[in-house]
Amino acid sequence: MSADFTREEIPPGTLDLLILKTLDREGELHGFQIAESIQLLSQDVLQVEEGSLYPALQRILMKGWISGEWGKTPENRRARYYRLTRDGRKQLQSSLSRYERVSAAIGRIIQPA
Amino acid sequence: MSFFEWKKRFGFLLHRTSRAEDLESEMQFHRELRAAKLEREGLSAKEADYAAQRRFGNKTLIQETSVSMWGWIWLDDAVKDLQYTGRILRQNLLFSAIAVLTLALGIGANTAIFSVINALLLRALPVHDPQQIYYLHVLPGQPDGAGNTGNSDSSFSEYVFEQLRTRQQVFSSLAAYVPAGINKITVRSGATPEEAAVDMASGNFFAGLGVGSVCGRTLTMADERNHTGVAVLGYGFWNRRFARNCAVIGQPLFIKGVPFTIVGVAARSFSGVEGTPTDVWIPLQKRPEFNAWGSAGENYYAAPKWWCLLLIGRLGPGVTPARAQAMLDPAFQHAAYEHLGGKPQKGETPRKLALVPARGIGESQDGIEKPLYVLLAMVGLILLIACGNVAMLLTARNAARRREFSIRLAIGGSQVRLFRQLLAESLVLVAMGAVLGWLFALVATRLLANWGQIEFSLTPDWRVLLFTIAISVFVGVVFGLTPVLTTLRVPAGLALKTSSATAYRERLKSRSARVTVALQVSICLILTVSAGLLVQTLRNLEHENLGFKTTGLLVFGLNPQLKTGSSKEAIRFYQDLLVKLRALPGVESVTLMGNRIGSGWSNNTGAIVDGGDPRSVSGTDSNAMRWNDVGPNYFTTLGIPIRLGRDFTEADSSSAPKVAIVNETFAQRFLKDRQPLGHQVSFTPKIAFTIVGVAANSKYTGVREQDVPMAYFPSMQMNDVGALHIELHVAGDPASFWKEIRSAVASFAPDIALLQPMTQRAQFDDGISQERLVARLSIFFGGLAVLLVATGLYGTLAYGVTRRTPEFGIRMAVGAQRRELLWMILRESLTICAIGVLIGLPLAIACSRGLASLLYGLAPYDPLTISLAVVGIVLVGLAAGFLPASRAASTDPLVALRYE
Repeated sequence: MSADFTREEIPPGTLDLLILKTLDREGELHGFQIAESIQLLSQDVLQVEEGSLYPALQRILMKGWISGEWGKTPENRRARYYRLTRDGRKQLQSSLSRYERVSAAIGRIIQPA
Repeated sequence: MSFFEWKKRFGFLLHRTSRAEDLESEMQFHRELRAAKLEREGLSAKEADYAAQRRFGNKTLIQETSVSMWGWIWLDDAVKDLQYTGRILRQNLLFSAIAVLTLALGIGANTAIFSVINALLLRALPVHDPQQIYYLHVLPGQPDGAGNTGNSDSSFSEYVFEQLRTRQQVFSSLAAYVPAGINKITVRSGATPEEAAVDMASGNFFAGLGVGSVCGRTLTMADERNHTGVAVLGYGFWNRRFARNCAVIGQPLFIKGVPFTIVGVAARSFSGVEGTPTDVWIPLQKRPEFNAWGSAGENYYAAPKWWCLLLIGRLGPGVTPARAQAMLDPAFQHAAYEHLGGKPQKGETPRKLALVPARGIGESQDGIEKPLYVLLAMVGLILLIACGNVAMLLTARNAARRREFSIRLAIGGSQVRLFRQLLAESLVLVAMGAVLGWLFALVATRLLANWGQIEFSLTPDWRVLLFTIAISVFVGVVFGLTPVLTTLRVPAGLALKTSSATAYRERLKSRSARVTVALQVSICLILTVSAGLLVQTLRNLEHENLGFKTTGLLVFGLNPQLKTGSSKEAIRFYQDLLVKLRALPGVESVTLMGNRIGSGWSNNTGAIVDGGDPRSVSGTDSNAMRWNDVGPNYFTTLGIPIRLGRDFTEADSSSAPKVAIVNETFAQRFLKDRQPLGHQVSFTPKIAFTIVGVAANSKYTGVREQDVPMAYFPSMQMNDVGALHIELHVAGDPASFWKEIRSAVASFAPDIALLQPMTQRAQFDDGISQERLVARLSIFFGGLAVLLVATGLYGTLAYGVTRRTPEFGIRMAVGAQRRELLWMILRESLTICAIGVLIGLPLAIACSRGLASLLYGLAPYDPLTISLAVVGIVLVGLAAGFLPASRAASTDPLVALRYE
């Protein structure tokens, strides 16, 4: 378990943003792929407790930001593939710009002038 | 939340089982992929599987959280709560039945009494836009010099009505109405005459109130202008008499022998604005036989000094009562004195108009308000007792389920969930109690209506429903929440320990139960004391000496059918009638009276003695006198002793010298220390009557009447002779005489009905029917309270005895006597009662003070009633304690000790 030591918990609330961003980049993914993708892109720094992905997916699904469709994997296994909807893309844009504004503001405060 | 999202949510609701399975397989797939990947990285298959599960997290929790995102968890939980509740309640069927029944009794009694209050006092008139309808009153009463009716503060002269009616910027319509007789009068359709409540009304009465017709039409202004002979029937009368047949329209209806034509039937919901339903409405009439209240004097159109019309109006849009009063007052001040000398008399209090909102059944609500609110208070207290019982039941049962709760909490059940579960159980009980209570109330109101002779629909409306829901919610909070909160304060581990560890807590709990019972006892004491006082009042009223012999006295009223309507003809009619009735076998004597004694009606005036105000002579501060006009042999017929002088005779005719008889109070107050015979008395300065006799005091208006100065004048010496009452003294069964009396009367004219024929005793009994009803109901409520308190006390003691079985075992084992144990429990019961009595006594005395105005012949702090109530409570304490006590006393030490 020593490998987990350097990993950080995902700050609450950002999971939605990460899922949306991932789907925006990759197009169509199933749950495991989303988890892998988030980990890979964050170079293993961000660690999702993988299960927590699913409540988040259900929540976003209900909001209509993503759609889920059952399909087959290359190994011919049944899996649900998620993709971004138009609403989801809009949501992503507004979340991102808000995130940038906030992090810029925080950056200005913590960076010595 | 958008429509889109709701639609999606419903989709998930409908298919949530299959969606949940989908989700599960999706997550399963996830874990498999993770495990496969880990295996590729070099873990063994088993290790990889574990690691994948660890990295995934608690799959059950995640599944639940995910499903909760669909937004239907609360529904699932609620369904589960209800299912579980259903199981629990079915498991304890006896407990559930007792709880629901207790609640239903409490809620039902409250709903029933409130239904009556609502129907009689609160409900708006069943007319269009009832908020704008007001009665017009004059405060503090009619101007001095105006002709009197019993309703001094609500009657107006025809002239004043006309003047006020023209102010159309105030009232969009102002209508007048007045009964055509003090009681019902004779109407005939077909051969048999019958009694009906007939009102005369202005042409805008129906249109102004916005009351339509079922058949035909209502009254019009033209009807009023021409005083047309048309009649509008009330729905109830039409239903009763004409079987709801619209063909009655156009048919004749003889009212007091005068032909009218039926032109319509009023809307079903509207039964008039009198205290009792109106049967027939006719336009205002100018004929002498259709005077207001059936009075023999001049018709209201001819007598501008007679204030007799009742007014009801619809305020114009946006006009407030205060503004209406301000706008009308100048016109009223002018019109009021137009025929009374132009201005108020010296020293006369200024008269003011007042607008009274039209609510309930009309204006005749005098005296019913207070008893009704007393009854409502009583059932409210009963509800409190009932709540206490059910709360204790629930607490006791929850205590028995303590282990279950602890285990649920220990294995991770949330407090919130447990709380919801208990709350659901309480709410289900309340809901069932409320529904059953509503059904109780429907039956009870019907019984009440029969019992109280209430001729109005008591059907509960939205206001009653709201009331019931409100008290049910109150009940739910009071009894539902308290036991839940005390139960949940248990730490998870506690109940798993031995019972001795919880002993202290148990003691606290049983103390709170005993406090509850003590409070119930104190409430019960309030109820029993009140009931006792009301019952004593009824007894006193029933046994009150009326001042005359009540046996063998029959009374009925009639309106003579006359050709000319002159007093001469009327006198002739009555003389002939008396001769005929006296000739009937078994009739010992017959007499007449103007106001029927015991009916509440009376003539009241300032006495004129020897042409002057008796106050200046006798030095008393009041000159008030009541009087009645009566027939020959009045005092002999009624058996009222003549103390001095003589009774009236046939010789005291209209042409003979005017004579009077006064009662003892009159003689003592106005002719103190003087020989009363030979003095003169009158109710009007125009005529003087010479006193020829002094009679013993007797009751005139009703049982509750206090002794007042009273004068009697011969009916035949009155200026106008109209409707009179006939009093007969008969030997034998009074009921057997009616047939012959009827046929004797019928031989005079076909249109004469016997009005309200009954025994004189029944007439006085009628006057206290309300007291009787209130006394009976209060007995019932007191009994209910005693029953509830007794069961509550019994339950608490029995529960305590069960819990303490080991203790009793030990006591027995170390040598306690059975009698000692018996007394121990009885003492506990009596202590609770004693505390309850100590708390309750001051409360009961304070509450009975509020009853004072309803009582008769006893003080609110009547020591006998209070001691009886206390003795009753002690007996309840002994009775409720006896069973548990004897069970404690018969504890077998061996069996008891085996429990531990």
